[in-house]
Amino acid sequence: MTEPLLEVSDVAKQFGGIRAVDGASFDVERGSITALIGPNGAGKTTLFNIVTGFERGDRGTIVLDGERIDRRPPHTIARRRMVRTFQITKALSAMPVIDNMALAAPDQPGEHLTGLLLRAPVARRREKEVRERAHELLEVFGLSDKAEEYAGTLSGGQRKLLELARALMVEPRLVLLDEPMAGVNPSLGRRLLDHMHELCERDGVTFLFIEHDMDVVMAHSDKVVVMAQGATIASGPPAQVRSDQAVIDAYLGAQVKA
Amino acid sequence: MTWAPFLALSFEAFGSLDFWIGAMTLAGIYAIFTLGLQLNVGFTGVINFGQAGFMAIGAYTMGILVADVGLSLWLALPIATLVTMAAGLLIGLPSLRLRADYFAIVTIAFSEIIRYVAQNARGLTGGNQGLLGFDSQWIDVSNAVQDGLAPVGLEDQFLAPLLIVTWLTLLVLATALRYLQGTPWGRVLRAVREDEDAVRALGKNAFAYKLQSIAIAAALGAVAGYFLALNLAFLNPNSFEPLYTFIGYAILILGGLASFFGVIVGSVVVYTLLEATRFLELPLSASQVAALRFVVVGLVLILLVAFRPQGIFGKRQEMVLGD
Ligand SMILES: Nc1ncnc2c1ncn2[C@@H]1O[C@H](COP(=O)(O)OP(=O)(O)OP(=O)(O)O)[C@@H](O)[C@H]1O
Ligand SMILES: [Mg+2]
Repeated sequence: MTEPLLEVSDVAKQFGGIRAVDGASFDVERGSITALIGPNGAGKTTLFNIVTGFERGDRGTIVLDGERIDRRPPHTIARRRMVRTFQITKALSAMPVIDNMALAAPDQPGEHLTGLLLRAPVARRREKEVRERAHELLEVFGLSDKAEEYAGTLSGGQRKLLELARALMVEPRLVLLDEPMAGVNPSLGRRLLDHMHELCERDGVTFLFIEHDMDVVMAHSDKVVVMAQGATIASGPPAQVRSDQAVIDAYLGAQVKA
Repeated sequence: MTWAPFLALSFEAFGSLDFWIGAMTLAGIYAIFTLGLQLNVGFTGVINFGQAGFMAIGAYTMGILVADVGLSLWLALPIATLVTMAAGLLIGLPSLRLRADYFAIVTIAFSEIIRYVAQNARGLTGGNQGLLGFDSQWIDVSNAVQDGLAPVGLEDQFLAPLLIVTWLTLLVLATALRYLQGTPWGRVLRAVREDEDAVRALGKNAFAYKLQSIAIAAALGAVAGYFLALNLAFLNPNSFEPLYTFIGYAILILGGLASFFGVIVGSVVVYTLLEATRFLELPLSASQVAALRFVVVGLVLILLVAFRPQGIFGKRQEMVLGD
């Protein structure tokens, strides 16, 4: 078997007296869809923050494609084509939707003052490509007619979609989604899931997503990682995790009994 | 009390070319100054309260290099600009990572430190006596331009050349900034203004963009400082009080956030008001009249914020939607 795309080993993070993450370890296989589940406050978002460089872990290592990335700043991690979305969406409200999209594109020399001066034609050509790609993705996510609107005028669900579409502009290898379905209506949510599968199968994009809806998790992931009280307590194929006694005790218990 | 002398005097002032040349030169200088604030505040979301400090560094470095070191003015200008940009980077490096309000406090403290140094390093800056003797090369140019103005009847206006050069510079800079704002570079700046974390998550180094924004603003402050120095023909620490940074903010709010040409209009309005109120003849002491000038500007700002909060040229949506 090839080595995993992402390897998280024994990561911990304490905020004052709170052990938000306390010994989290798991792998994400290349070209797979992995779900990260756990009760509220289990440390899922904090773990995402550490993996993407927004928080510094107290201990542990994070390896992306064979290279250690812990202690690197967020933007250099994102440039390794691992991109995330946020649980509380970060649409750039006072910018048009299309600018939100174009912003995310990598390899734009026009983003640097030297590039603007010395490589103006390249920058212009790239900008054209970027806009075409942005319109394609907006089409897929049903946001085409909103392209010129300010992102702040979008509904909550539309912002979730915009954030995912914008993440895809980065041409990612690995996408981390923090509750992408929360607040999105079921039919749009299905569209989002279909698109995730399509990207995974067609382009080999790997996904790691946090989700509370068990039906979605069971039906749409290759592997499930379970967190409770900061630690990863189980991981494996959905069917296996579902019957794991520790998981049932810690998390699924209430649902299974119900 | 009769209004007759006040009316007579103010009309006379408005009718005189001297008044307009003086007021518009200042308007041009502080428009350049405020372009820097606009770049920081309107386009990057960085609150810079130290613009007067950057203006001082530029003006004094230029003045010292010419008057004390003996460099040519034309060499001193680019050197002073680089020095000022370096100062911008120096205060940005440790403090731009802090929250926006901390950076604001750091910049105002920095600006005051610069002014105290200018006041007290008498050997270098002349302290409160002022620094003289840096403008002879400019006066040669100015005289040549003034002779050239004879056909339009301006040969008696010895400040007209400075007015012209200031405004040409202003228009070039405003146009260049407006162009930059429309490029992918400008887009990243605006995104930083909206949400730094989102920008980082997309692989852009938000911190580097904030540093660039400050360095460019510092350079614009320096350029404004050169014109101010040439306008006064001497440098005095009082010209760099934080008050001038706040006049810059008044211009910014009046013209509208996120508009470079709004800055120009804002500056013309503010300096017309400030200079015109000099000519008020009221039964008040000199210091009361001085205070009244700012009361007038304040009233105009209050009315504007009440009736047109986005300023003259600002986009209302960008104000309402920024969360
Ligand atoms: N910056 C912070 N400072 C202090 N405590 C924090 C911070 N961030 C998270 N925590 C705490 O860490 C714990 C884990 O929070 P986290 O947001 O990672 O949970 P989560 O698993 O994402 O929960 P949810 O499913 O509700 O989103 C919580 O108890 C939270 O209060
Ligand atoms: Mg969370």
